[in-house]
This record gives sequence, C-alpha cells and structure tokens, in this order.
Amino acid sequence: MDFDIIFGNAARAAFGPEAVILALAAIGLNVHFGFTGLLNFGQVGFLLLGAYGTSVSVATFGWSLWVGVVVGLVLSVALAVALGFPTLRLHAVMFAIVTIAAAEIIRILIGSTDAIGLTGGPLSVSFDAGAFYDLNPYPDGPHDRYGVGTFEFTGQQMWVITVGWVLVALVSLVVYLIVSSPWGRVLKSIREDQDAARSLGKNVFSYKMQALVIGGVIGGMGGVIDAIKTSGADPNGFRPQVTFFAYTALLLGGAATYFGPVLGAILFWFLREWIESFLRQLSAEAWLPDAVADFLSGAEGVISVAMVGLTLVLLMLFRPQGITGNRTEMQLDAR
Amino acid sequence: MPDDVMPPPESASAEAEIEPILTVPPVPGAPKPNPLLVVDDLSRSFGGLRAVDVDHLEVERGVVTALIGPNGAGKTTLFNLLTGFDRADTGRWSFNGEAVVAPSPDQLARKGMIRTFQLTKSLAKLTVLDNVLLGAPRQVGERLSAAPFRSRWQDQEQANTEKAGELLERFNLAHMRDDLAGTLSGGQRKLLEVARALMADPVLIMLDEPMAGVNPALAQSLMGHITRLAFEGLTVVFIEHAMEVVTGISDWVVVLAQGQIIAEGPPWKAIHDEVVIDAYLGRRRAEAGS
Repeated sequence: MDFDIIFGNAARAAFGPEAVILALAAIGLNVHFGFTGLLNFGQVGFLLLGAYGTSVSVATFGWSLWVGVVVGLVLSVALAVALGFPTLRLHAVMFAIVTIAAAEIIRILIGSTDAIGLTGGPLSVSFDAGAFYDLNPYPDGPHDRYGVGTFEFTGQQMWVITVGWVLVALVSLVVYLIVSSPWGRVLKSIREDQDAARSLGKNVFSYKMQALVIGGVIGGMGGVIDAIKTSGADPNGFRPQVTFFAYTALLLGGAATYFGPVLGAILFWFLREWIESFLRQLSAEAWLPDAVADFLSGAEGVISVAMVGLTLVLLMLFRPQGITGNRTEMQLDAR
Repeated sequence: MPDDVMPPPESASAEAEIEPILTVPPVPGAPKPNPLLVVDDLSRSFGGLRAVDVDHLEVERGVVTALIGPNGAGKTTLFNLLTGFDRADTGRWSFNGEAVVAPSPDQLARKGMIRTFQLTKSLAKLTVLDNVLLGAPRQVGERLSAAPFRSRWQDQEQANTEKAGELLERFNLAHMRDDLAGTLSGGQRKLLEVARALMADPVLIMLDEPMAGVNPALAQSLMGHITRLAFEGLTVVFIEHAMEVVTGISDWVVVLAQGQIIAEGPPWKAIHDEVVIDAYLGRRRAEAGS
C-alpha cells in the first residue's frame, strides 16, 4: 500500500482539467440553482454544446479553433434561450423535467448514427487542438515534469490547467461582481419568492432568463475546456450524471456562496480519486482473499462514485449548508 | 361608468381632503369625486363559482378604503385580479387615469400599484435591510449591464439605504436590519412587508389583512402608520376582518359578498347596513330578528 501514490493521484485529479470542468459546471449551476433557485437538471447539455460546438467547428467545418470556441459558447446561449422561453414560466419542477429531457435529447441526437457526418455520431469526434498548445509557455519535452513527487503534470497538462484555473478565477470574480449587486438581490428574491419580486415591480421572467443564459455559458466554457483537453468530444461523456456530479460539487462546497462550487469541485475529484486509488492498491494486497480482490479489481471506479454519493448523503444529514455555507440560512427552510 | 368621466389626475393638496368622500352617496358602485382606480364589469369564475363579479367600483384618491366581507367573499381574488396576479374573465379597469391593458403584476407595480399578501412573503434568506432595499424603484444596479460596476449604482444604493433605514426605524425594525428576515416573528414580517411596499414609492398600496396575526400592540402601531400614510397623500386599500380596525382607520368601506359589492359607505354607516349584517350572519337570522 503506497499512500504517496494514492495521494499523488488524488491531488492530480483535484487540480487537473477534470476538476476545472466540474468547477465551471458547478459555478454555472450555482447561478441557476444557488442564487436564482432554477432547478436545472440539464447542466450537462450546456457542456455538451460547448464541447461539440468547438469540436465540430474544427473537425467538420475546418474552422479555426477560436471560431470553434465562440460557436460552442453561442450554442450554449442558444440552448438557454430555447429552454427558457417555453419553460421559465412553468413551475420549478416542470422546468427541472424539461431541462433533463432536453439535455438527453441533444446527447442522443448528436450520438445517433444519422449524425455521423456532422458530429461523428457514436464514433465521437476528434480534432487538432494545436492552435491552443502552440501558445503553451511550458517546455513540453518527454521528460519535462511539473510538481512534487507523485503530484506532477506534463507541460501540456500544465498549460490546460493554468488556462483552466485562470478561467475559473475570472468567472468566479465576474459572478461575485454581478451577484453582489442590486441585480443579484433580485435573483435571490426570485429564489425566495417570485411573487414577492413581481409585486415589487421586478420582471421575473427576464431575470430568470439572464441567469439561465449566464449559468449556461459558464457551463459551456467547461465543455470547451473539455473539448480542448481531449482534442474532441464523445457523446458518452455527457450523460446525466455529469449534472449530478456538478450538483454534488456545488452542495459539497456550499450553494449560493462564491467559492463553494470551486472548493466543491476540487474536493469531489480529490475524494473520488483517493478512494479509487486506495481500492486499486487494496485489491493488489496479498492478504486479501481472492474472491474479494476479484470483486474489487475493475469495480474501483464504481465504488468510488458510490462513496462520493454516500459522502453527499452524510453531508446532507450533518452539514446541509455545505462546507462554506451559512448554517442559519439553511435552517430557515425548516420554518 | 365609462372612462371619460374620469376627472383629470389632479395634484390637489392631499391633507384635509377627507371631506369630499363624505359627499358620496353610500350606494354600491357610487362615483367618487377624484377616483384613482375605476373598475368596470370585472368578473372571475372558478369552475361554477363566480368568485368576483363587480359591476362598478371607484377607489377615491388619498383615502383609506377598507374592503370587508365574509370569508370567501372574493376580497383576495379581487386584489389578485386588480394587481395582475390573476386573470379576469371579463372586465376593464383604469389606474391613475390610465387604462390597464394586459395587466402584469410587475408592470402595475412599476406604475405605483403595490400590494402585500395575506400570507406574508418576506424573503427569508435576505436580510431585513435587503428586503426593504428590494422595494426601491428604478434601481440602476438592477440592470445586468450596470451590476458589475459598483460606481454606477453605489450612490443610488446609499440613498436607498438611508431611506430604508428611516422606514425600518418607523416600523421598529431598525435593530434587526442585518438579521435574516426568516428570523423575524410573524407580526414583524407583516411590518417588514409594509415597509418594503412603502419603499417602492407607491401611489396605491393594497394591504391584504395587514393586521392578521399581529399582536395588539404592533397592530395599534401599524394602524397609526396607515393613518399617517393616508395623511401624507397615499391611497390605501386594505382587506380586514376586525371591525375595530375597520372603524378605526378607514374613511370608506366597501363590502363584498359572494363576489359582488353589496354596500359602500363611511364605516359607521356601512357596517350597520342591513344587507351587510345579512351577508355576515345569514338571512335567516336577520329575518327571525325582524
């Protein structure tokens, strides 16, 4: 059992591109759910359009990567508007159902064999993200490594996560600036009671739409990073659980806080990878009965996700406000 | 009565103008000298039940009007219709000299028709101060394009905060301004909601049972506030069940029963009207008594 390796793996996951993507998804969700009270269960749809908008622009249409990034973000806005117009006037639960359905419809359409010519269909799509890596300031020789001990990255990875975390910081700052204003106060009033907001002259629909678009674009940015990181996109990467992972990260860190979703994303990946690495090491231990070892090997990923789920349950029981949330605020719900 | 009989929106001194209302004949649908709100043929049915069926109603400007009636008379439904929270089946109304077309609650509120709710809608996870600040009209910082730039809205926010502070002082909530509204008592929430409504610079304030659940001392002070508001020129319409409140602070009473206006008049007349007693207590008792 080598705890150095376990820790190194966990730390790499906690600060790697996957955590960046999850953080962006969770920040967007925080704008929707945390501040405005929009129960968006289709956040993955925004990531999908960000990733496929970028990938398809470059791979299918031969446009530049930067055009692709813009296309990805524009598609996220389009999804928000298309979802918002018919559904934002509906009850919160209806909105939740429509969002999860819309995200699934898009994923299934994009992954269908009929879409092979456009999106690669089930075969996934890949493109050359060279334009991004050309800007990489980190020397990226075969032996260049950045970090300490087992917590290290290659030059290319360093470039992705540098850009990624800078983006996360910028987005968090913008969210902080717009939400800690009278505009943000209206969002929160809509979350608390939209009829009260209406009775004071606020155009609830318009504010919800703005929040939906902003949170959606932030999710779309996560998708763009995902596309660049993997130089492509695969429909299987955008199943509904991505949305639920983002909710987990958000609730873990603390909804309706500014740093909560980022902290939550880091912790989510740290925990998940720590457990998985630990189980992988455990299944190799000689003293373990063969039957148990057989069961464990190959199931580490599944078990670690289950453990994350268990963590969420415990969190809801003992610290429902998340790590950075405000307990008294949370308890008001019970009144 | 059609819209053309509307008098011009005049700015006559509000104080001491309680008098003209006393010249109005105490009959349902009576025309008023200077109406702020004029309602015609307003109806709303739920299934077979005609919840509201008002032929004509005028609300006099700068006066405290009480809307009373037995449970289920349609008082709150009438509020909901007039403020755009519910859609009328038929009817038209004008507010402040302007016909209300395709009413939406936020538009009407921006025109100065501000209501409160029977079940208080305090925003639990916002501070008391933020609750009141939310009421402020025409906030630059509520536009997304200005929100990130503090310098563009902080002066207005500062002025609003001062005004909110005064309102909280007036309603004895100043010491709780930084507490979350969810921690207030039921009565304090009622006061907060009225303070928030006043922050919106209303022309007409519509209070749905403002005294319900408020302890007698607080209710007394709230009644004082309402009289003072009317004195300052605000038009007040409120729904109330407690007769001592109605007689205490209203200048005019409109009685609703089964969706219809059955009586109108100054409080001392209206609540002794035989039709009103019938409506509250049932015809049989009235007949037996006669």
